[in-house]
Amino acid sequence: MAELELRRLRKRYAGGADVLHDIELSVHDGEMIVVVGPSGCGKSTLLRMVAGLETISGGELLIDGTCVNGQEPAERDIAMVFQNYALYPHMSVFDNLAYSLKNRGTPKAEIARRVEETARLLDIATLVDRKPRQLSGGQRQRVAMGRAVIREPRVFLFDEPLSNLDASLRVQMRQEIRALQQRLGITSLYVTHDQTEAMTMADRLVVMNAGRIEQIGTPMALFRKPATRFVAGFIGSPAMNFLTFATDDLPDWLTRVPADTTEPLRGELSVGIRPEHIMLTPSDAGHIEARIELVEPLGSESLVHVRPADHEARLVVRHAGTELPTAGQMTGLNVQGPFHLFDHHGQRLTTRPRLADTTCPMES
Amino acid sequence: MAPQLIIVLVFFFWPAITALRQSLYVQDAFGLGETFAGLANFTRVLASRSYHEALVNTAIFSVSVALGAMAIALLLATMADRVLRASRAYRTLLIWPYAVAPAAAGVLWMFMLDPTLGVLTRAMTVLGIDWDFRLNGGQAMALVIVAAIWQQMSYNFVFFLAGLQGIPASLLEAAAIDGAGPWRRFWTITFPLLSPTTFFLLVMNTIYAFFETFGTIDTTTSGGPGGATRTLVYKLYQDGIVGLDLGGSAAQSVLLMLMVGLLTLVQFRYVERRVQYH
Repeated sequence: MAELELRRLRKRYAGGADVLHDIELSVHDGEMIVVVGPSGCGKSTLLRMVAGLETISGGELLIDGTCVNGQEPAERDIAMVFQNYALYPHMSVFDNLAYSLKNRGTPKAEIARRVEETARLLDIATLVDRKPRQLSGGQRQRVAMGRAVIREPRVFLFDEPLSNLDASLRVQMRQEIRALQQRLGITSLYVTHDQTEAMTMADRLVVMNAGRIEQIGTPMALFRKPATRFVAGFIGSPAMNFLTFATDDLPDWLTRVPADTTEPLRGELSVGIRPEHIMLTPSDAGHIEARIELVEPLGSESLVHVRPADHEARLVVRHAGTELPTAGQMTGLNVQGPFHLFDHHGQRLTTRPRLADTTCPMES
Repeated sequence: MAPQLIIVLVFFFWPAITALRQSLYVQDAFGLGETFAGLANFTRVLASRSYHEALVNTAIFSVSVALGAMAIALLLATMADRVLRASRAYRTLLIWPYAVAPAAAGVLWMFMLDPTLGVLTRAMTVLGIDWDFRLNGGQAMALVIVAAIWQQMSYNFVFFLAGLQGIPASLLEAAAIDGAGPWRRFWTITFPLLSPTTFFLLVMNTIYAFFETFGTIDTTTSGGPGGATRTLVYKLYQDGIVGLDLGGSAAQSVLLMLMVGLLTLVQFRYVERRVQYH
């Protein structure tokens, strides 16, 4: 049970550039925060700084209001689940679970009781005598979770814990981790590069890019109202489509240009449209003419990859019909709202234009 | 026949069988004739006081060299691993002593510890230590032990460093988060995971101390003073090559081979049980 606060946290490696810039984040008690971003964005470094495995170059890290910048990992009372699980290969599951309690001088009877309790909680009670190499990937994952849970730490840290599992197991474990976290109510910081994992598990999402936080918010808030073009492209699957236009050369279907931006619009304007908001229409009947390049049937729906005739971009359309279009054909694209506008810095424009011939729902 | 088999036959089995045969015979001083003697060579060797002394010397020497060379190498490897996970230059520097021939290593230390000229002797004089390994048997033993350790250490270092680098950093990080301090991390995580390397080195160092230190002893103390540094392998050489007691020397070499074989067997039976192969 703890609150975690990051105040202008910075990381700089000796002789190198900053890898994290002024990270501001406060995690409420019992909250599950998922930090998501492409590889190399600094999310793992951030987690390791919270764990105490990396030094903090600037700013403050507070757990329950106490600055823990200078504290050793052990003193911070945190637990971490590693990507490769980091189970001690020479110890049995029992000893793996008991290790942290032994280090803290817990009495033997108490250790046995807590190990049994934890093993039962994670459904690994029958495995306690085994060595890690005798376990399957999912079982190892559970032991790693158990090792984190047993100590009842103030903060849980997860470093891409599911990336070594196969797809179906990943879905199952992600639900289990979430259920366990909610049940125990432990403040958690979860790092992943997988946006689906991030969306499904988070109370709030933190999207990072190149050492900075792009946006913080609930998964649905970020999905509905991405603050930057980066977030827009990162959250949602398949990813949002972007069309770029010069501000003085906007197409007919995009009539109203946002007026209340902080600075006058210059350069290029990015229009973001989610794949589910584009409809295929007969050729010549839509806003944009395009050629169908690839059709990916998924069963209940299909993903249609198209290339507009007068655009460099490649768009993905979510097509609900059971009748599949054929690749190579020309098609019309009917752009529906809601959609998203970004200026040439990639910042969201707060007012959206209205489509010329449709009354699209306004998303604010 | 496979070439390596021929080499093994010529350089191992043939001499070994010859030694075995020779140990059962007594040769005359001119090498012109020999008489079958049964186990007389063995009983004579085993009853002699100088053989017992050599046995004790060997035990002291081997245990000191094996433990010393491994402990120091492990310490250095741990420090090198912590500071420079990637630096090749440092590693190379620490490997160099292994490229020095045992005889040269002995001479090197002999010069540094020479009773009249030695650099380290001067330092010890300042400290009030009366150093003369040519007269003091204990000091002579210390000298050969130091020289042998210095030589073998680099070999051990390479293996320990490789072993340490094979331990994932995340294990030690997990242990740190689990509340284990550096000392405890070393003994509960690093050391057990290093045990295959340690076991291998224990066997190799024992063999090194028993056999390969001949050159070191020969160039520095020649087994002296008064037999204080005469180990089994050195006595075998002195009796056989210098004293021309071929039968007795052959008996000693057979005994030595049996001893090392037995020791290795014991190591595999009892020490290897504690090894964590993972």
